[in-house]
Amino acid sequence: MKLAIGIVALVVALAIGASPAAAQGKPDLTVALSSFSTEVLDPVLGGHVVKYYMSLMFDYLVGVTPDGQLSRDTGLATRWEPSSDHRRWTFHLRRGVKFHTGDEVTSEDVKFSLQRAIGKRSTTGYAGPLRTLIADIETPAPDRLVIVTKDPTLIIPTYLSRSLSTEGMILPKKYIESVGDDAFAQKPVGSGPYRFVEQVTGSHIKLTAVDSHWRIGVPRFKTVTFRLVPEETTRIALLRRGEVDIADVSRERVKEIEREAFPVHFRREEAILTMWWILPRDNQPTKDKRVREALNLAVDRTEVAQSIFGGYADPAHVPMALSWSYRDIGFKPTPEMQYPYDPARAKKLLADAGFASGFPLTVYAYQLPGLPEGKAFAEAMAGYWQKVGVQPKLVPVDYPAFRKNWFDRATPGAVGYYNVANRDWIGTYAFLEKQAYSKSKASDTVNDPEIDGMIEQVMRQTDKEKIGVLMRNVYTRLRTESYGVPVVYLHSPYATSKTLGKWNPGSVMYDFFIDELASSKR
Amino acid sequence: MARFVFARLVQSLVALVILSVVVFVLARATGDPLHLILPMSASEEDYANARRYLGLDRPYVEQYVSFVGKALTGDFGTSLRARRPVGELIAQRLPNSLRLAAFAMTVSLLLAFPLGVLAAVWKDTGVDRTAQVIAVLGQSLPTFWVAIVLIEVVAGRLQWLPAGGIGGFTSYILPGFTLGWFVVAGMMRLLRSGMLEVLDSEYVKLARVKGVVESRVVWVHALKNALIPVVTFAGIYFSILVTTAIVVETVFAWPGLGRLAYEAISSRDFPVIQAVVLTTAAIVAVVNLSVDCVYAFIDPRIRYVR
Amino acid sequence: MSAETAGGAVAASLPAAPARPRAGARTRRLPLFALSVIGAFVLCALLANVLSPADPEEQSLRQRFTPPVWEERGTWKHVLGTDRLGRDLLSRIIWGSRVSLTAGVLTVLLASAFGAGVGLVAGYHGGRVDAALMRITDATMSFPVILLALILAVTIGPSFVNVVVAIAVVLWARYARVIRGQVLTLMELDFITQARIAGASAGRIILRHLLPNTFNTLMVLVTLQVGYVIIVEASLSFLGAGIPPPTPAWGSMISEGRDFITSAWWVSFFPGLAILLVVLAFNLLGDWLRDTLDPKLRQL
Repeated sequence: MKLAIGIVALVVALAIGASPAAAQGKPDLTVALSSFSTEVLDPVLGGHVVKYYMSLMFDYLVGVTPDGQLSRDTGLATRWEPSSDHRRWTFHLRRGVKFHTGDEVTSEDVKFSLQRAIGKRSTTGYAGPLRTLIADIETPAPDRLVIVTKDPTLIIPTYLSRSLSTEGMILPKKYIESVGDDAFAQKPVGSGPYRFVEQVTGSHIKLTAVDSHWRIGVPRFKTVTFRLVPEETTRIALLRRGEVDIADVSRERVKEIEREAFPVHFRREEAILTMWWILPRDNQPTKDKRVREALNLAVDRTEVAQSIFGGYADPAHVPMALSWSYRDIGFKPTPEMQYPYDPARAKKLLADAGFASGFPLTVYAYQLPGLPEGKAFAEAMAGYWQKVGVQPKLVPVDYPAFRKNWFDRATPGAVGYYNVANRDWIGTYAFLEKQAYSKSKASDTVNDPEIDGMIEQVMRQTDKEKIGVLMRNVYTRLRTESYGVPVVYLHSPYATSKTLGKWNPGSVMYDFFIDELASSKR
Repeated sequence: MARFVFARLVQSLVALVILSVVVFVLARATGDPLHLILPMSASEEDYANARRYLGLDRPYVEQYVSFVGKALTGDFGTSLRARRPVGELIAQRLPNSLRLAAFAMTVSLLLAFPLGVLAAVWKDTGVDRTAQVIAVLGQSLPTFWVAIVLIEVVAGRLQWLPAGGIGGFTSYILPGFTLGWFVVAGMMRLLRSGMLEVLDSEYVKLARVKGVVESRVVWVHALKNALIPVVTFAGIYFSILVTTAIVVETVFAWPGLGRLAYEAISSRDFPVIQAVVLTTAAIVAVVNLSVDCVYAFIDPRIRYVR
Repeated sequence: MSAETAGGAVAASLPAAPARPRAGARTRRLPLFALSVIGAFVLCALLANVLSPADPEEQSLRQRFTPPVWEERGTWKHVLGTDRLGRDLLSRIIWGSRVSLTAGVLTVLLASAFGAGVGLVAGYHGGRVDAALMRITDATMSFPVILLALILAVTIGPSFVNVVVAIAVVLWARYARVIRGQVLTLMELDFITQARIAGASAGRIILRHLLPNTFNTLMVLVTLQVGYVIIVEASLSFLGAGIPPPTPAWGSMISEGRDFITSAWWVSFFPGLAILLVVLAFNLLGDWLRDTLDPKLRQL
């Protein structure tokens, strides 16, 4: 009997196999993430895509620096200029760039990629606006591309850059046309510094370095692997054991990790945690501006930032305000714009509006990627509102269920929230166009004709100054009308191994510049 | 015997069919996957297009028939989230679950056997009490908590074992142990009570009178008889291990079937939800059938259903 | 997870082994420990509003993660410390006993009532009725509990009712199989045949003759399964499908504290201890019941 057991155990052990041998020579980089937004590696058909691994495999038409400025050094376009009427944008392309298949990148590939990105099946974030804007794409030479737009516009280079989404990623026309979309998604080919090796859904994505790349020289890491590790304790244990080099961690555990001398890098103000009410407001207490203001005054933002977010957050006072855009549009929140923590005044305002004994308020509670404190946060907000007499009802769901309720407008007046990724002014405009513009119907949360008018004017504007004025006014009005409850700007921590070295994760939406880390041009 | 097997096989298939309808309805009740696939700016037209492209706009009955028809040929459709054939996803993940379950089962048996036997032989001693404590803990602590404590202490602080992910032999140890602890508990109790009963029996008394060495009495004669229920339980436990591993898989970042189901439910990925539930049901059915066959073989009386 | 009950499903399709009472089985002492633990928690559940020192849902962010009173920063105001939102842990554990015990008992009662009903009917009628019912039972048993609960949670939102329904809907099948097995054996006995000859109706036979004889098995199963339900609720909370906040339930309390086991160990530890004690107590009680009522049930 015992012999039998022994043999079984031995067979099982052998069948499971030996562990992989350690890498020789250049180091490997492993990144542990709490979630992958999507596991379809097609920049255009994959659903909501984060760029952590995509920007390693693909090049962009227009590059950016880690702090979000358009750059001529890190994109395929070495320069670009508009025609005098801002309807024709000419891009001059770098030569000698090759796809992982060996084919050279030409303007035909760029045109193909763009058409695909704005095509009917595209699921990228900005396909819609680009589709309405772009009239034609011309390829006068292999290293020159002209985009012809229906209206004069400033936004084309930014929309096709790394600072927003993936519409500007260059895909290989010949390869995709020969193998088809599905095969491309399973074995993606790009021109970036890292090549696809393998993907096990639900587990990891592995990339290997090309010999040399125009963006970063000779890549410092032989391979880069992204691992999906949902449980935080496991991610931290992997870091301690040296099995991963970078791990995203929650704000509440930063001190614990720093105590052990692991460097923690922050993406400061990576997102704004902002709450809103599901429309329509017509029959809701939130129709009254005083109620909206009261709900804002009832919340102690500093306490929330210090406690739930461990001090790694700063109070936010303007609804939906994406601070990385402030510099471009010349906006600066004034001291008067700050909501003080004043529950007494909140109660008074509620009473003035006729709700001295409060009213029922549905508060959805859900976790979000990058926001492990989601449910606790919602509970805390409900707690504050309860103290001023409102009767909050906490409804735990998952985000897809909330989004359905939001879009279907099933529960008007209910509160939802999101950690909206911070972005530059064009991205901000696109975001406001979705969430603060009544013609966006389902996703609108504001429904204000004045703001609608201002947003429509931005759409048609080519004068940067005038755009700045319009957007400042939009923000000011969002604040004076209290069209939401902004709570905090979140700083997101990324713990790294002790030997990783200098790393600037940057302030670009959904990207943390691993390629900069791998660059030998540092 | 063959008639029995055939009858049970047919009945298992019927059960699977019932299940397929139930899971088809349930999966579609979870919501709309398009909200997650399409961007926020998608228009009504975009939704309609996507629905048509994915075949979600056909009437439910038609969708069900199409699903069953394709399933019979081995085609479980395409994952809405991963845009890959569902069969491929399952083929990728199922072996991981099976291997982990096999490892957990083996380790549990290796632990349960000596503990169970010795607890019976040395009844009411320190060994017995320790074994009882282990059994109790294995059944009263939530799995995820055990897993997290093990990762934090054994992997993170002591760094004796890997913290997660599927890899070499050592990566199976922590998740396998966590998964299998309750099996150890159950098996051990069974063995212990089985052994206690047999050690008291005439058969064993006779062996002792005949002068058989005590250790042989225990490990050969008694154990052989106490084993019967244990062996049949092993099958049941195995299917439980495969189907309830979702918590362990999540904590240890183990890419198995349970985790696939969780991801599918979170993203309202109907085809995958259906396929995973049916796969696990099929596994349970196969195991149940095998166990029942073993019983029927041993005891012809139960072959004839009234 | 009580593995024994799973095996009971198979064991019950065997004819029962001949009775061989172990020495001392009839004269077992009352399980004092188990009864007192259960009694204590039942008391907590019933008198929660009297016993609890504070409002279990009152949060105070400035006092989050206060350690228990015997630690450095502890205070008598929060004897067992506070959780992530500054809520008093002792109060939440006391109120949590109401939630967790009710969930466990209610689920098990529902599942056993329905399952026993199905088992009795199937065992009595036999033939096609039996076969049909057993196939439905098999189909149910092979549906993973956790997945069903997740699907429900995602469809209609997690709630106390969802947890009870999700678990009960899959759990009844186990009772059905076990009871049916018992009934099959009982049907061979003379007094049943006599009752049928005497013209008694199906309902009368089931209720007056069969049910009382399966009662022992039911009692043992029910007791052993309460702990299982409480543990499953904890796993469901971990996955986001358990009894949702701010309701204090031990399972979700453990889950909420799982990221802080080294920094704020008390948040998960005390509810974990509560679950451990309750499950242990129910298991001991179930074992004692089994040994006293009918040692033949050792495979349960």
